[in-house]
Amino acid sequence: MSDLRGLQLQLADALRASAAPRIASLRGDGVADEASRLAVYHHGYRLRLREALAVEFPGLSLLAGRRFAELLDGYVAAHPSTHFNIRWHGAGLAAFLAATPSWRDRPELAEAAGLDWAISIAFDAADQAPIDADALAHMAPDAWAAMRLHLLPHARLLRVTCNVDAFRRAADRGTPRPTLRRLAQARHLLVWRPALDVRYRTVAADELAALQGVLDGACFGTLCERAAERHGAAAALPRMAALLGRWLDDGLIGRIDAP
Amino acid sequence: MKTIKQASRELPYLGFGLGLRVDHYEALLDEPGQVEWLEIVSENYLVPGGRPLRWLERFRERFPLVMHGVSMSIGGTDPLDLDYLDQLAALARHVQPAWISDHLCWTGVAGVNLHDLMPLPYTEEALAHVVDRVRRVQDRLGRRILLENVSSYISFAQSQLTEWEFLAAVAERADSLILLDINNVHVSAHNHGFSALDYLDGLPPARVQQFHLAGHEQGGALLIDTHDAPVVDAVWDLYLEAVRRFGRVSTMIERDDHIPPLAELRAELDHARMLADALLQEAA
Repeated sequence: MSDLRGLQLQLADALRASAAPRIASLRGDGVADEASRLAVYHHGYRLRLREALAVEFPGLSLLAGRRFAELLDGYVAAHPSTHFNIRWHGAGLAAFLAATPSWRDRPELAEAAGLDWAISIAFDAADQAPIDADALAHMAPDAWAAMRLHLLPHARLLRVTCNVDAFRRAADRGTPRPTLRRLAQARHLLVWRPALDVRYRTVAADELAALQGVLDGACFGTLCERAAERHGAAAALPRMAALLGRWLDDGLIGRIDAP
Repeated sequence: MKTIKQASRELPYLGFGLGLRVDHYEALLDEPGQVEWLEIVSENYLVPGGRPLRWLERFRERFPLVMHGVSMSIGGTDPLDLDYLDQLAALARHVQPAWISDHLCWTGVAGVNLHDLMPLPYTEEALAHVVDRVRRVQDRLGRRILLENVSSYISFAQSQLTEWEFLAAVAERADSLILLDINNVHVSAHNHGFSALDYLDGLPPARVQQFHLAGHEQGGALLIDTHDAPVVDAVWDLYLEAVRRFGRVSTMIERDDHIPPLAELRAELDHARMLADALLQEAA
């Protein structure tokens, strides 16, 4: 190993240690001793990651309150950053919170992190214009049953058991911290970006089933058949037409494949 | 009055610019004043799409741009990140920047990114290592790069060269250029007890392509390069010394935190322009 690499490994270990050890090759002088010099980098390492993650996780920050810094420090200690873009260090935070003993008994934290991260990813995902209702205008009536819908590629469905979306909304709007509520039944949030602004909303149980069908590649006819099992034959088609209309209005559909 | 020799440079002189920050997006398009060019942080635009690239497109139409990165880790001992370099090259094909710069430092090791501009020991081993990597980066990007001197708080017993000797030697041996951060010279001179004027005197004028100006804060006995405050008088004085030595050099102000209204930064930039113009006219 070269001297340079050895020194860099030693410094990186020192910065990541909870208390920086002494490094023989560092020089102190009349301005400052070597320990206080190294402390600038030791402190800066945590501060920089904390600041970058705070930008990506505003909903989690509002929800965790005074424990946010502690939570981030725990994550940074367990998971060093490996991507050149500091922002991407946030990719593993939700999974960390869901799996780590000191945090996993508060599932709202992982859920809030999941929502914040889905919004962050959608923000600068590859551009793709959603299609609108005109795309269906020229489709032959007998082609509807076989057509397959494709959501915008960055669209995400998130399962939540708490009102974490209220925390994100309050963080974005600068309104007071909401009260945490555990939901009687888990629900799903849809996150997507129709143009430049990221949107998110709750989806109803039957809409969730239909969206999951779309994601699984089911054709529209199959989606209607499944809706009929839930709503009955008479109500299924109007309901599916209403959902399709909403998805188009929302700018959620990226492509339709028709035979 | 001693005349100021204008070094001959291949890359264009852009005038007086600012670091592009989200807070100033709209104001810069509405009232650019005398902001002549912009420096973008490359990593902020290495994204697939969305609002950042839409804004970038608008600025590209209105201003000359240069690309300034923080992730090249030119002094690192992990292999060069070729994926990062290729993303940088793709962005450059789109942006058509006047030049691309990064820092003379390392940012991580063994796959761990420290997200800091870590200083190098100024040894012959480190020099040969950096020169080789600069050459390979320049080959990959198809252009010469600028490397910026960083502010530092530690120094190494094994250093054989001064920082300015090291910076000059990298530029000469790798045929690269220098982004001279005047504030960083001041900060490091204070922190390590060297002469800022010796630093300036030790650099080859023709390789100095760009100046950075910024603010810092006092962190105990050390000065900390925070980019969160106006340029201080001592840095303005050093800026004049740099203009005296290097002539007319593209100059910009960097502000990364406590970002004031654009008008305040424009006024600071006007001050830089006034100082440089007065000195150059007097010398002429």
